[in-house]
Amino acid sequence: MNVVAFERKPVTGVWSESELNTIVAALSAALAPSSGRQWETGATENGDAQFYLLGSLPDQACVLCLSRVGRQYVLEDGSGRLLFEHRNLDLVVLHARAAVPSTSWLMVRMIALWCAARSVFHEKFEPMLTETEELLVQFIPQLAALA
Amino acid sequence: MKRVKHQDDFTERSSGKAVPEAKQLRKLAGDWLKQRRADAELSQADLAVRLGLKYYTFISQVENGFSRVPTEIMGAWASELGLERATFARHLLRYYEPELHRLLFGAETK
Repeated sequence: MNVVAFERKPVTGVWSESELNTIVAALSAALAPSSGRQWETGATENGDAQFYLLGSLPDQACVLCLSRVGRQYVLEDGSGRLLFEHRNLDLVVLHARAAVPSTSWLMVRMIALWCAARSVFHEKFEPMLTETEELLVQFIPQLAALA
Repeated sequence: MKRVKHQDDFTERSSGKAVPEAKQLRKLAGDWLKQRRADAELSQADLAVRLGLKYYTFISQVENGFSRVPTEIMGAWASELGLERATFARHLLRYYEPELHRLLFGAETK
């Protein structure tokens, strides 16, 4: 039996709706409105599709970039570091999801608030407590002597 | 290259808001880089190979205005385009850090 090998045509052009659905669904948490992140699509000069996950305002710099080169999906960060590459998009988006910084702004704000509260406590209330403690140390022996 | 903007809904193709300045300036930097690469008669793939990148997709990412030229490869990028490194870095600083550029070099005409 003769088997004729047909060469597969390279895949180029814009993302299909199915591909976009897969990517956006996988990154849904990262794209939550509270995150301030957005996404855009583009293409290379060869027509290979690119998906950009953008950070929040005002910079909106690329956090992750997913490209389709031929039949290969390539995941890079905003500095061009190659994070993952595979022919299976599902696998690539799993890596994309894991690569997105997960600390939410709410968490950052809560930590900042906690630090500010601690700082105020140390500056304002701790000297008062120390002073009270010193007074007690001075008066307790006298009170004990009277008793 | 084609750029399509999205938020978290496919149907919302544009927010209608003004493009933030940083993003707009990165796009201008990308256009300038694209022009310089064309002047050097290099494709995105050629430049990527010369910079030691496995894929040329990062060149596109930068030229489309989504990322900056990383400082660590700025010199090499300039050399491959046949440009003087300091001039290249100074020109990119105008787009990437306009305020710093203004402080260092004052207001210049393009």
